[in-house]
Amino acid sequence: MKTENILTPQSEDSQAIAKHDVLNKYKLPEQVLFCKKCTMSNQRPRISFDEHGVCSACKFAEHKQKHTDWEEREKELIELCDRHRKGNGQYDVLVPVSGGKDGGLVAHMLKYKYGMNPLTVTWSPLVPSEIGRKNLDAFVMSGFDNILGRPNGRATRLMTKLAFQHMGDPFQPFIYGQQNFPLKMAIENNISLMMYGENGEAEYGGDMKNAYRPTRELSDHDGHFFSGLPPEFWLDHGLSEVDLHPFKVPRFEDIMANNTEIHYFSYYHFWDPQENFYYCTENTGFTPNPERSEGTYSKYASLDDKIDGFHYYLAYIKFGIGRATSDTAHEIRDGKITREEGVALVEKYDGEFPSKYYELFLEYADITEQEFHDVIDSWRSDHLWAKENGKWKLKHSVY
Amino acid sequence: MANIRIISRLDIKGPNLIKGIQLEGLRVIGDPNEYAHKYYQAGIDEIIYMDVVASLYGRNSLEKVVQHTAQDIFVPITVGGGIRSVDDVRRLLRAGADKIAINTEATKRPELITEVSNTFGSQCMVLSIEAKRVEDGQWHAFTDNGREKTGLDVVEWALRGEELGAGEILLTSVDKEGMRRGFDCDLVHAVSSAVSIPVIASGGFGKMEHFYDVIDKGLADAVAIADALHYSKMEVSDIRSAALEQKINVRCLTK
Repeated sequence: MKTENILTPQSEDSQAIAKHDVLNKYKLPEQVLFCKKCTMSNQRPRISFDEHGVCSACKFAEHKQKHTDWEEREKELIELCDRHRKGNGQYDVLVPVSGGKDGGLVAHMLKYKYGMNPLTVTWSPLVPSEIGRKNLDAFVMSGFDNILGRPNGRATRLMTKLAFQHMGDPFQPFIYGQQNFPLKMAIENNISLMMYGENGEAEYGGDMKNAYRPTRELSDHDGHFFSGLPPEFWLDHGLSEVDLHPFKVPRFEDIMANNTEIHYFSYYHFWDPQENFYYCTENTGFTPNPERSEGTYSKYASLDDKIDGFHYYLAYIKFGIGRATSDTAHEIRDGKITREEGVALVEKYDGEFPSKYYELFLEYADITEQEFHDVIDSWRSDHLWAKENGKWKLKHSVY
Repeated sequence: MANIRIISRLDIKGPNLIKGIQLEGLRVIGDPNEYAHKYYQAGIDEIIYMDVVASLYGRNSLEKVVQHTAQDIFVPITVGGGIRSVDDVRRLLRAGADKIAINTEATKRPELITEVSNTFGSQCMVLSIEAKRVEDGQWHAFTDNGREKTGLDVVEWALRGEELGAGEILLTSVDKEGMRRGFDCDLVHAVSSAVSIPVIASGGFGKMEHFYDVIDKGLADAVAIADALHYSKMEVSDIRSAALEQKINVRCLTK
């Protein structure tokens, strides 16, 4: 990778960075509370807490564990499959996959348990890791057709830089593609049924409106995944229509004409990420990371991109919620660890700086160290952060 | 030649027996005492209890579990996890452990091996090594249930451990652990042929061929089995009789 500045033009407001109003932008409560059952705080956007101090994700977990008839849900899944089954060799369901344990489970079960013919679609990580590539290869070798979408690297780098500067999340370009590319592939291959893994809003805390139904609304795309900014925003910042094409959502009328339906597998099948790990180790050649990911303890989740550590790190800065908080919160809900262990893990790992790929990130996004820290500090909200002896410290913690 | 020992390994977290794949994705299996008792009844040679979160909390919480288990189980029990001092060792021995296994603290303060060995005898000082293959013919030692790297070369570390007074090595292959696809025989061979103290091979047992291989090719002195026993894929007695048929000198139980 070249180190000279190939990513011109510079945005005009990159000099001094004014503090962002994180509270208002994400509609966060000013008083920080931690869930009584897990380690999640009320700073996660769109999460809600009940009068007993329990978060919506924990309540959803209870509903899913105790009050859901999974046999009934499986029948619904079979009916859905039957409705879309083509039986003529053509693809009848599209499954977005990364090569990880979740998409792997969905694709494998649909194909080998429910007799569907899935087309799996992967949107390339910004900077793929070796283990991620190995897992994707192993997945394809285990018996799947796969389309790998790889966008123009120069445009992706520029978007990464702009997204980091303007939105405090270098991961936006990936998220655009991850959401929109499979949709495009569905239309191009005449596949009406798209099956995602889990409904993250319900499983991990967020908007509960889709928690008790299998599908999601296409209008949610913008609000949840694009932080309100569609790809067109970038036209004003040096990217062309051509650059943006692979990231953009298909035309609404094309989506409708394709009778596109987006479903979540987690509605039909009891969703347990750890069990997905077991399933994929057994069936799709999945191997966990040789080392734990920085900022958390786990070795089997989100391991295919070398720079997604910065996405998680920014979330830690904005909301005080790092990877270890997210990981422990759902493992507590899933009954894998106790809250006590979760709290200890948060204390040990949360907010750990992603130093392993720090230089790589600076080079990839073409930003200086100074600029990096200016951006980071511009997202530190006063209600969460205070400087103590010259060091930033969270005002509230679960430990 | 001494008997090849068949050891059941029980990884424990809080009150639960757990099991992972490559020490990751830890599933809750059940009550450790129940399982230990079952294996004892079935004629296991030894039992290993490993507290896998001890390093996280900086304390070992196995004392009670060991106390309970030691009451009616009369095969050697090795206990590991979070042991940091001679006092920690003393407490666990009093609770009924016969040997103790040390990993993390020994990598930080190797003289602990000597202290334990001098105080209680080398027969009770097991050096636990979590080995991960880094390149062909080389392995590095990890700690914290395979999460943190130390950069130590496994063979050199094993030799050093022997010099410092370790009486036995518990050698876990992180790559093979929970995979049921066989032991890392090269690893076991590299360590077994370097040291003169016994080596317990751990990680990878799925079927009897794996057992034969790790003894013939790996030169293991003992074999630790977890997955296959916890998930009842095989019984201790099946393993023993299959090994005897193969002319492997495991302990012969007369009824």
